[in-house]
Amino acid sequence: MQRFLILLRFEIKKVMARKKAILFLLALNVVPILAGFLAMLLFMKFKTIGIGGLQYSILNEAVRGLFTAHLKLFAWISPFFLALVIGDSISSESARGHLKTLLLTPVTRVQVLVAKAVAVLFFLLAAITVGGIFLQISLIVARFIGDSPDIIRDVTDGSTHLVSTMTALELLSISFVANMTMVSFFTLFALFAESAILMTFTGLIILMGLETFVLMAPTLGQFDPIYLRIADWCFTRHPSKLFELETLSGLMDGSLSIAADPVRSALLGSLGWALAFFSLSIFFFRRKSILN
Amino acid sequence: MPNSTIKPEFISAPTGNSEKVALRVKGLRKSFGKKVAVADLDFSIPFGSVAGFLGPNGAGKTTALRLLLGLVPADAGEMELLGNPMPSGRVAALERTGTLVESPSFIESFSGLENLWWFGSLHHPLSASRVDEMLDLVGLREAAARPFGNYSTGMKQRLGVACALLHTPDLLILDEPTNGMDPQGRAQMRDIFKKIHDIHKTTIFLSSHLIDEIQRLCDFVVIIDAGRTVRQGFVSEILSRERESWEIRLAPGGDLQKAREIAAKLPEVLTFENAPRGLIVSLAIGASPRLNRALLEAGIDVAALIPLEASLEETFLKLTDSKVL
Repeated sequence: MQRFLILLRFEIKKVMARKKAILFLLALNVVPILAGFLAMLLFMKFKTIGIGGLQYSILNEAVRGLFTAHLKLFAWISPFFLALVIGDSISSESARGHLKTLLLTPVTRVQVLVAKAVAVLFFLLAAITVGGIFLQISLIVARFIGDSPDIIRDVTDGSTHLVSTMTALELLSISFVANMTMVSFFTLFALFAESAILMTFTGLIILMGLETFVLMAPTLGQFDPIYLRIADWCFTRHPSKLFELETLSGLMDGSLSIAADPVRSALLGSLGWALAFFSLSIFFFRRKSILN
Repeated sequence: MPNSTIKPEFISAPTGNSEKVALRVKGLRKSFGKKVAVADLDFSIPFGSVAGFLGPNGAGKTTALRLLLGLVPADAGEMELLGNPMPSGRVAALERTGTLVESPSFIESFSGLENLWWFGSLHHPLSASRVDEMLDLVGLREAAARPFGNYSTGMKQRLGVACALLHTPDLLILDEPTNGMDPQGRAQMRDIFKKIHDIHKTTIFLSSHLIDEIQRLCDFVVIIDAGRTVRQGFVSEILSRERESWEIRLAPGGDLQKAREIAAKLPEVLTFENAPRGLIVSLAIGASPRLNRALLEAGIDVAALIPLEASLEETFLKLTDSKVL
């Protein structure tokens, strides 16, 4: 166990020590970082010259829009960055011979792959946490302004409220689980490629192909129902479901919870695919010839 | 002699229990598609020996080491490292084994010190003094803080050797450990290996294309060709069994051309070349009296017959039918 923990620390250090890791963290969180700074400017304006005739509904829409924009953008671009990080960690290390050096130490192949996957998940968690911190800054400012007597209370319906911290955490958790599927998918893919860039683009082409098929399946299903049955087996539909506008809106206005369908089934589906891809990765990695 | 007709011959090969054998390979086979990399390897390395692993380019040395260390799955065969079956006992075996397979590959952006620390810690918890000791041993103390990517080829090899020695292994498996080093560096590495062997009784299995290096360092040798073992045993026994070399000094005015013709006619004479005062002949064991008699009967006065030390290179070339290493 002690050896595995050292291996895990080593893998996390390798992932986070790369200069591009910091750039990736910033790129993935461009929306909440900008919004956080804007919120702080807004707060200074509010404390000095007031905010004029700001309506509560506009503030509410701005907060919901911020969460939706961040989660949608994160869902779109995270596969690209995750694929690059995994490609560096597995494909490039295999090509450069680092994997050979690692496997000449007394660690098992399963430990190596688990440590690499956990290190990438740590990177993902760091990315989500950075976004979460800046979103929280925006939320605090929004709540402060929302509680001000200067704000025009044009909303009488009690169900319309600002996103709570718990809801924010739920949204970030969904983002984490959905991206776990991507991490496992790219981990499997990286075992068969020796170039991070090649692996990234090939993997993304497959992802986009699957996603396009899932989007077209209802139309194609009118010609032949087999397309709908095939679409059921496309793993991308689970993460996509989690990032649908209805899902995000439902969670933010409280009409949906992560414990209830369809969110729960999409979460379980994502986790199931993540486990399946990772099990396959272990199967292949245990038999992989390390030739570099 | 065609390679395929050479039968493996084991001279003093250890066959006893696992404790006496550091490394054992039996019927090892591996193909990559249609290409047979390792056809049928059988050898055993005695515990406490310094063993050389020789073979022409493409003979399957590196593939055999990769198979042995569990980097590549074998198609067939049995392997044992320090009593542990491979690859199932890989972790237990590698805890006591130091390795350097081909060129060392460490993290380029990490310093030499960081690389040693991280990779070494995966064997055993390390003290800073142990890392410093190894850096001193291989002469990299001054360059320890530099990124590995900025190291020269020789420095990379030294760091690889330091990493292999870090956890005081019982067995060292080294593939071309002095590759890219200058003559002084090679001599220094030889001294390090001798010292490690003398102090810790470490078994060393060393693959190298430098036969001179193997002959200077090793007491045991395994020779392979085309993925098959062609000879294994103690160096002294192999050399004494294969052939003997003599310098034949002719008396002043001796007919060198006639001596060459006589030598060429004798089937026991394997090779001959001119020497300043006669010939240097390489011939089958025990054939020297016959050559001497033939020369005398032809009226050629032989002033002296001087035995020459046998060369591992000659033996190697004969066994592998190879001119290029």
